[in-house]
This record gives sequence, C-alpha cells and structure tokens, in this order.
Amino acid sequence: MTAQEVRLCGLLLQEHFGEVVEKVGTHLLKSGAQNLRTIIHETGLSVDLVKKSLCVLVQHGATTFSSGRKGLGSPTEYHTSCDRILRILRYPRYIYTAKTLYGDTGELIIEELLQRGHTTMSSTVKTVADRLTQNMAEGRTMDYTEVSSTFSKLVETHFLQRCPPLPGTPATPGTPAAPVNTAPPTPESFPECYKVPSVTLIGRGKRQLASEDGEEQRSAKRAKMDPETHGDEGIYWQVNFERFHLHFRDQTIISAVANKLDQTSSEIVRTMLRMSEVTTSPMATCTKPLSANEIFRSLPPSYNILRPILDQYLTLLVDDPMEFVGKAGESGGGMFVVNLHRALANLARATLESVVQERFGSRSARIFRLLLRKRHLEQKQVEDFAMIPAKEAKDMLYTLLSQNLVQLQEIPKTPDYAPSRTFYLYTVNQLPTARMLLQNCYKTVANLIERRLFETKESKRLLEKSQRIEAILASLQASGAEPEQLTEVEEMITAPEKQQLDTLRLHINKLDSAENQVDETIFLLESYINSTNASS
Amino acid sequence: HPSAMAAHGRGQRTLSFTMETVKGDAPPPSVQQPTPVFPVMEQKPLPLTGGEEAEYLLALKQDFRGAMRSLPFSPVLPVSCPDVERYSDKYNRSEQMDKLLDWAPDWKRFPRELRVHVRKPARDSQYTLYSDYTPCNQVMMKKKGVKDKEEVLLKLESLEKKEEQETSEDEEGETKKKQEEEEAEGEEEYDEEEFEEETDYIMSYFDNGEDFGGDSDDNMDEAIY
Repeated sequence: MTAQEVRLCGLLLQEHFGEVVEKVGTHLLKSGAQNLRTIIHETGLSVDLVKKSLCVLVQHGATTFSSGRKGLGSPTEYHTSCDRILRILRYPRYIYTAKTLYGDTGELIIEELLQRGHTTMSSTVKTVADRLTQNMAEGRTMDYTEVSSTFSKLVETHFLQRCPPLPGTPATPGTPAAPVNTAPPTPESFPECYKVPSVTLIGRGKRQLASEDGEEQRSAKRAKMDPETHGDEGIYWQVNFERFHLHFRDQTIISAVANKLDQTSSEIVRTMLRMSEVTTSPMATCTKPLSANEIFRSLPPSYNILRPILDQYLTLLVDDPMEFVGKAGESGGGMFVVNLHRALANLARATLESVVQERFGSRSARIFRLLLRKRHLEQKQVEDFAMIPAKEAKDMLYTLLSQNLVQLQEIPKTPDYAPSRTFYLYTVNQLPTARMLLQNCYKTVANLIERRLFETKESKRLLEKSQRIEAILASLQASGAEPEQLTEVEEMITAPEKQQLDTLRLHINKLDSAENQVDETIFLLESYINSTNASS
Repeated sequence: HPSAMAAHGRGQRTLSFTMETVKGDAPPPSVQQPTPVFPVMEQKPLPLTGGEEAEYLLALKQDFRGAMRSLPFSPVLPVSCPDVERYSDKYNRSEQMDKLLDWAPDWKRFPRELRVHVRKPARDSQYTLYSDYTPCNQVMMKKKGVKDKEEVLLKLESLEKKEEQETSEDEEGETKKKQEEEEAEGEEEYDEEEFEEETDYIMSYFDNGEDFGGDSDDNMDEAIY
C-alpha cells in the first residue's frame, strides 16, 4: 500500500473511530502483521486501549487475526489492510442504493450494519423496527416481519452475507476445516453464506418516548440488555461490498449508454444485465451470450418496441466505439454479450481524457487522445495529426510529460544512441496512467478531509457556542418557554457570527460533497484496474 | 544545459536527452525554486455536480459521521491527571468511561487476549479498588455519596444479566461498574442546566476558566487584567 493510501486510511479511521483507533490502525498498516505485545510496545499506548482498538477494528472488518506464522502456540497476529478502510468513503452510496432498491427499510438495515460492523439478524431487525417506528405517524408501529422480509431479500440478492466462521471453530457439517497459516477464506467459500436462519421474531418496533428523566432511557437500555433468544445466536451478518460494486458497475454502464445513445438502448442493456445477473461471475470479462430472441422476450412490458427495431438497436450498440455490446454468434437471431471489461476500460479511458481536458485544455486533450489511440508518435506526427502548430504542440507535450501523463520512449537507430539518430516517440499507457490518477484521487480526498478538519478547528469556539445555544433553545422549548425568551437566547449569536457559521456550513458541505464525487472516480478506476488484473 | 524536464523531480528517472536535442529551439527557462503552494490555475475546475441525489448522499455522509461519534466504537485516551485536583473533575470524567464499557463484542469471535477488564475510579465509593491507586483516584475515593434505591434495584437486575459476559473476578468491581454505567447513562441525558447529582450548580459553573483566552497566546505584549 502506498503512502497516500495509508494517509487517507488514517484520516478515515480518525473521523469514525477517534485518534486512538487511528494510531493502532495506521501502525498496523505500516508494519504489516504483528502480535499484540509488539503493537503495544511500538505504539506506546496502554494495554487496554490497544485491546479495545483492536476489538473495534476487528468488529468492523478492518483487521483480521490469525494464529501466528510460527505454527501453533505462537501468538495471534493482527493484520490490517487499506482496502476495507477505504470502503468507508463509499458508505453513503451503499446506503442510498439500498434505499433505491428496498426502500427506507433497506436503507436502515444497511446503515445499521455499516455502523456496527457485523451483527445478528434479530438485533438488526429490532433496532431498525424501532427506528422506523420513531418516524412513523403517532400510534403506528413497524412490524418485525416486514423488516425481516426485507432483510431476507437483501440476503437472497447477496447484498448481505454471513460473516465466515472463524478458523478452528467447529464448522457446520460438510465444510472442510480451514488449514492454518493460509489466507483467510472468503465468505463465499462457506456454503451457508447466503442462508437466512429461521428466527422467531415476533413483535413491533418500540417508539422511544421523550424522556422526562433518566428513567425512560434506563428502561430502554434494560430492554436491550435482556437477552431474548431468537434462534440465530452466533450468526453474524456483514455487508457484501462486492455485490454493491457489481451493481454500481452495471448502473455506470447503463447510464453511460443512456448518455451516449438513448433511453431505449440503455433499457436493452439493462435487460441484458438483469438476465445475466446470476450467470455472470464477478470477474467475468463479459456476460454469457444471450440471443436476440431471449432479449426480446425479457424486455420490460413498458418498452413496446418491435422485433426488427430491437435488432437495429443491437446493431447500433455493437457498432458503437464504446464497445458496450458485442456480437458472439448468429444463432437465435444473433447472440450478444455485454462487454464488461471493455466497457470499464473505455469508461476509465474517458475519465483520463476528461482529466487532461479539464486541467490542460481541449487541445492538450486532443493530443492525449491521439496518443492513446495511435500508441507511439513522433513529435512531428503529433503536430500533424492534432493539427496544432509546432511550438504550442511542443509546450503541451512537455507539460503533459512533466505531469507524467505522457511518456517518452527512445528507439535508437544506431548502437551509439546518438540523439540525432534516435527516434523519440511519445506514448500513453492507459493502465499505469490510471493507477497514477487513482493515487492522485486518494491524495485529493485526504486533502479534502484535512481541509475540512482545519475549517472546523478554526471555528471551534463558534461552533461550540452555537451548539450550546441550540441545546439551551431545545430545553427551553421542551419546557414550554415564552417566545420572548427564545428570541433572547437566539440573539446570543450575533449577526456576523451567524454569517460566519453559514459560510462554514457551506464550506463543509462543499468539501464533503467533493469527497463523494471523487469517490465515484475512485470506484471507476479501481474497477478498471481490478478487471484488468483479473483478465490478464 | 539544464534539462527542464529533470528539474520537475518526477521520480528518479533522468532523461537521457535534453530539450535541445529533441528540438532545435531554446528550452523554457529552468525553475530554480519550489513551485508555489497555490499556483494560479489556467483552467478553472468545473463546479460540483449538484442535484437531489448528491444532496441526499451528502446528508447520509454527515449523518453517518455524527452517528459514529455517539456509538461506543471510539475509545479515548484518558484525561491525564492534572496537577491540581479540581472539584469539576468529578463530573467531567464520567462521559469518557461510558464509551469504554458500553460495547462488548461476542467474545467467541474474538481472540481471548483482547478481553479488557476496565476498572473505574470510585465515584460513590462504597467499595475501593486497591488496584487503582493513582493520586487522582485516591482523592476521588474519599468522596462518598449516597446511592439511590432505584439504582440498587437496577444494578441487581443488570448484574444477573451481565454475569455471563464479564469474567467474574471481582464482583464488587463489576457491581460498581454497572452502577456507574447506569448513573452515567442517566447523566448523559440531563441537560446542562438540570444536573441532579449532588450539585446545585449548572455544568458551566465548573468551567475553571482554563479555556478562556486560550487563543490569544500570541499577544503576550498586552497586559492581562
């Protein structure tokens, strides 16, 4: 992992789990797998704090543990990797997707699981039912069965999966015992991974009443602590990020088709992807071939296009330079596939081109696109093909070169590498360039977070004051104060201070929003890079 | 001839050509100083994509961050013992300790060595813990308070339930721990202005003025009245 990745992970850990967990997590990222004593010694933190931090990290899947490398008897080793921590950036997107697919219930289930790392089905259902009840109209409550059924749907469609049983624990009959000292098995290698346990969950959500004193809170707390059993003890669930990523990938392809061509084309591609959901493995480069007949039958009823029109659309898709769809045969009216890898590669390429355009202008972008297509060109050829005068072309090329977006290759004509007898060819390599850009993205997000923390720190006193005043206002309102009292309190914040707070809010929102947007690029580039590695 | 390309310091590669060999014109003047921190951008960046989805994602993100802060997954460094023990410390300490206790993972899924035994300094100290003898705690332990009857009842109930979870070394320690949890839980809900527990003053009474004027460290010339 790179320095940028470690830096970003540190900031994410700090924001979500505090400085202590950050210290332990970052240490493990840099040092590799270590046992408890070494971690305590090298971080200088107290035993309890290190233990607690490791618990938090393990709970959230950021850290895994295994028996030591020296065989049985050697101390447990803890290993943290960047990938899982970087996923935190994408949490809003996972939650939002769950909402679009399974409504508010789905949204809250995913949110609960992301907040808690891993939990049982029964505790999730109860908590979500309570939360939904809280927002419902007076007197109405959410039934557990409704929440359970949404949970089951999420499991059936693989968005949720069971946490793999630990190595060495008695496995369910039929699963092989995991050998020691190998990489931890994937959740999917266990056959029960997507099996919903039969739970007895009868009840409705509880509305939490406004507390007059600590009593209510204590009784609610007591209710949580009392261990009703529901039949699923020891079965823990986690969010299956890979499944969400497949969904994002499909969505990206569909919307790219919609942008480039039209709505009907995107519906055809959406249909093809939907038909291929269960038959396509995650790392496949393309879907299994589908015949035009099958596609025609599977189109949504609202799309009433004629069969010959479908054929025309398919031809259009195949001919498009983005290569979203490919033709794989002639039977059944034509066999078609969605070119998953090619689509990702082309989307990544479009991203790189867009970056060059926005940073250096459209003419530099033209040069960049040219080099991507033609592979190797001499300076003179670049000038000619791009139709840019020599002096400007040279400047642009050197700027791109200095930013490492373009590389120079020497091809000697003679053994002595004499400059006058050597070809100097400009070239662009998509994969390494994408990797570099990805690192830039990590750095960007880290910078955005640091700036946001800085802005918050600068206005810390004002923020605290505003929070105190809001608390006072809230308590006054709850105890039924006069409007004059309320305005008196509100006026404790002066107008310029209000202005400052508004500006601060605006900045923080912008920075947060920018993080989300950069993560979209991160996702695309990561997908492309992973897909390329898998297919090579 | 200065190679302008190498001056940009991109990695350890030195280029085996110079500007002049590739093309006959003069190279751009070489840069002799680090690039400016905020260089003027030739191309202004595009604005952020707005829209309903972006707004919702933003709200989700900020809500999540807020929610994580209130969950017990953020152990904090204990407050270092100040040189002078203050009356306000008694009330300021409670919040930190709850978080440390509030969450217990399913120990079957965690290595045994990670189990934490947390001992808290006594607040209403009917019981003293001899393993916890730091100067702060000694002072705290001297202050005795009255326990509410209801807390006794609650404590007894929760004791039964929590017995499996904790290793039963020091039952008294556990009792006190749970009692403090309940207390601390109850306290958190109290508004600043209504702090029932043993004091007639609101929390800001206990502001010992250390935060005041902390920002103006630079202006040491001015006399401080």
